[in-house]
Amino acid sequence: MDWKKLFGFAPLPKPEFIKVYEKSMERKIAGGKPVSELEFLVIDTETTGLDIKRDLVLSYGAVQVSHNRIRIASAREFYLRPKKRNREAIKVHGLVRERPYVSREQLIRSFLDDAQHKILVGHHLGFDLAMMERVGRSIGLGKIKNPVLDTFNLALRLDMGKFYDPQAVVSTDYSLDKLCERYAISPDDRHTAAGDALLAAQLLVKLLKAAEKKGIKTFADLMG
Amino acid sequence: MANVIVNRVIEFLKKYPPFSFLSPELLAQVGREVDLVYFEEGEFLFQKGEPAKSYFFVVKEGAIKLTDHFEGKEETVEICDEGDVFGVLALLGKRPYILNARADENSLVMAVPVGVFEKILSENNKVSLYFASGFASGQVVVRSGLSQTQKVRTLFGRDTNENGLMLFSGQTTIQFSHPVIYCHTGNTVAEAVQKMSREKVGSIIIVDQNKHPKGIITDKDLRNRLIAQNLPYSTPVTKIMSQPVVTAKKDMEFSQVYLNMVKHRLHHLVFTEDGSSDSPLIGIISDHDILLSQGNSPAVLIKALQESQDIHELAKLRNQAEGMLKYFLENELAIEFIAGILTEINDTLIRRAISMARSRHEAVFPELRDLQFCFLALGSEGRGEQLLRTDLDNAIVYEDVADELKEKAQNFMHLIARDVMDILFACDFHSCPAEMMANNPQWCQPLGQWKKYFSQWIREPDPQSLMMATIFFDFRAVSGKQALADALTQHVYEEINQAKVFLNFFAKNALLNPPPLGFFRNFMIEKSGRHAEKFDIKLRAMMPLADAARVLILSHQVVGINNTFKRYEKLAELEPSQAALYRDAGKAYEIFMRIRALEGLSTASSGRFIQPDSLGKLQRQLLKNAFFPIDEIQKILKVRFQLDYFGN
Repeated sequence: MDWKKLFGFAPLPKPEFIKVYEKSMERKIAGGKPVSELEFLVIDTETTGLDIKRDLVLSYGAVQVSHNRIRIASAREFYLRPKKRNREAIKVHGLVRERPYVSREQLIRSFLDDAQHKILVGHHLGFDLAMMERVGRSIGLGKIKNPVLDTFNLALRLDMGKFYDPQAVVSTDYSLDKLCERYAISPDDRHTAAGDALLAAQLLVKLLKAAEKKGIKTFADLMG
Repeated sequence: MANVIVNRVIEFLKKYPPFSFLSPELLAQVGREVDLVYFEEGEFLFQKGEPAKSYFFVVKEGAIKLTDHFEGKEETVEICDEGDVFGVLALLGKRPYILNARADENSLVMAVPVGVFEKILSENNKVSLYFASGFASGQVVVRSGLSQTQKVRTLFGRDTNENGLMLFSGQTTIQFSHPVIYCHTGNTVAEAVQKMSREKVGSIIIVDQNKHPKGIITDKDLRNRLIAQNLPYSTPVTKIMSQPVVTAKKDMEFSQVYLNMVKHRLHHLVFTEDGSSDSPLIGIISDHDILLSQGNSPAVLIKALQESQDIHELAKLRNQAEGMLKYFLENELAIEFIAGILTEINDTLIRRAISMARSRHEAVFPELRDLQFCFLALGSEGRGEQLLRTDLDNAIVYEDVADELKEKAQNFMHLIARDVMDILFACDFHSCPAEMMANNPQWCQPLGQWKKYFSQWIREPDPQSLMMATIFFDFRAVSGKQALADALTQHVYEEINQAKVFLNFFAKNALLNPPPLGFFRNFMIEKSGRHAEKFDIKLRAMMPLADAARVLILSHQVVGINNTFKRYEKLAELEPSQAALYRDAGKAYEIFMRIRALEGLSTASSGRFIQPDSLGKLQRQLLKNAFFPIDEIQKILKVRFQLDYFGN
């Protein structure tokens, strides 16, 4: 007897798309796969703040990179309707900008569909993933299990080598703004989720080329 | 769905042709499909001989060089920078690449899938013309394309219906008087005059029972052919009407109508349904209508030149023509039209100057009053291609006279030549540095002496002779006895028939200026900040084409076509197998003329030296595309005149 279910405590059955996603994660990317053949999903989120427990996701942007190419066709930009919509604020501003609002489920579904078999990429990616897990929790998403690559870490590693001392790093030198400047990426649409995802994607293709020169040639090299 | 990333791509693409021609919807469709690819300096995007990929490229950031192998070395053919489109063979027939593409610096490039573009290509006229005309970089195969470039150029940046001469009065269609006043062939003059008087018009068209125009009667005809002849008012109109009438189609290009009227000094042009005189009358346009509607028009200017007696006024009028030229060029009127008008203006000025000079000196040489002579324009003016007042090249040929009159005739002609040249100098024409002008006694000679000159150039084709030939062979009668010029032409062909080898020498001479392959290498140097190099458009682009056209047209024994672009037109007709190339060459020449004239006007110079970076992206492409026929034309000369086996 499934007591939890009987008393209504059990979570709703996992939606099919989450199962498909989890199943897809059983297939691992071969360590010897050349970097130039890897497939990435670069994401970014805009949130109400930096507290993983309290703050909420406002928008999500993503774009895929495969075979060193940024696939504009795969670009995504979604906005979540703020939970506590402040009607007074809306009155004051007169109008609410029309956004491509989606439900949390739609957002997670799109993300998981795109994420299958991909390496997830972002700048300070850990935060974005934690936020996404929070959005997905109520609909049955557990841990996001993809291999991950943080452009912050990769940029550092290219400068300092694999075993750098995190204490010795001035992290602001490796902010997305600073890195864009260094890698000659014009900071268009900064601070929108999709805009930052595109910047991170451009940073990624440039970093990967640089990495290849430093002998980081395979998936295993990249993750190691 | 619009999103920030796609919008970013669209914002970029829409700045550059051919994307700038797309509707927002189509642009969004394209923008959604592109990939961004990053290449580091030195990396190949594709290599010569590789099968075409399923996308073409646009440079987003950085620079890509297109290279080819010359004698085992990789040489840059072209540099593509931001917004340049290349690798379009993928789009056009999917042939293997004919050049290498290699990143010249770290570059971000957009790859546009052929799939989305193919549909656009078949539906969007401007876009397909853009590609067909070879505007994209590295598109060496432009053979069939250049004739399209003119069309494309007018499409760029302006509406297609804006290219007629009616810009003058703000109309794009011909406006003719209407209703037309006409009477029938059976009417008497009295009936016709009553109608004219009632309608307050100065002319009336005579039509038959089908309303086909048969003739025209003007006030002048009434004066000269009726009253002065003492004919009764009951005379049938058919007896005094002018006929046949010159007819045209109503949807004929206005510039054509206009040029016809100016050139043939027509006072009236009658429009009929199908343009022939065996078709119903629908309208009439008079030079008066044009004068009224267009204060500062060529017709007015030419008329004013014809009537002017004062050298200062002539100079002023000629200056006015420059303003008109600028207007013509800026409004993208056909070069043929512009050159036609300017040549007519210059010719009128010369005729005016000759008549002034003649009336001044005639009295002193009573025994030579009937001496026939012909004023010849040479060089570019002889070809009817001189848009700017650059160097004068001209000559006088007069009939052979009895020995005792020889010296006098020489003096008389020389005085006329001197005065004419003084008037032309006053009108701001420049003196020819080599003094190939009528006021140089050497080039003011009787027919007999001219024949000797030409015989010598043809029979002794040393470099000096050939240089002379390139200038003098383009002679054109501007004023006086045409028969003298014709006799000279006849002589030239007879001589060439006697000494056929001359053409081989002449052809070899035409190859002295190879096509400007180095241009874009200079361009590259300049890009990286070294001293900016200028480009001699006359020597490197125009002379090779003009020289080749002259040789080829001589080899066909064609008489009376002097324009380089018209020569190519004729050659296309004579040699259908090479027609496409000849047409391209003619169009290329027109493009050079236009660019040079614009450069000359904007820098108050001869326009000969072009600063490549002063040209816009499209103009640069246009120029570059126009170079390709030069090489091909020179190859034809080489083969046809067997120049590889032809010693020095």
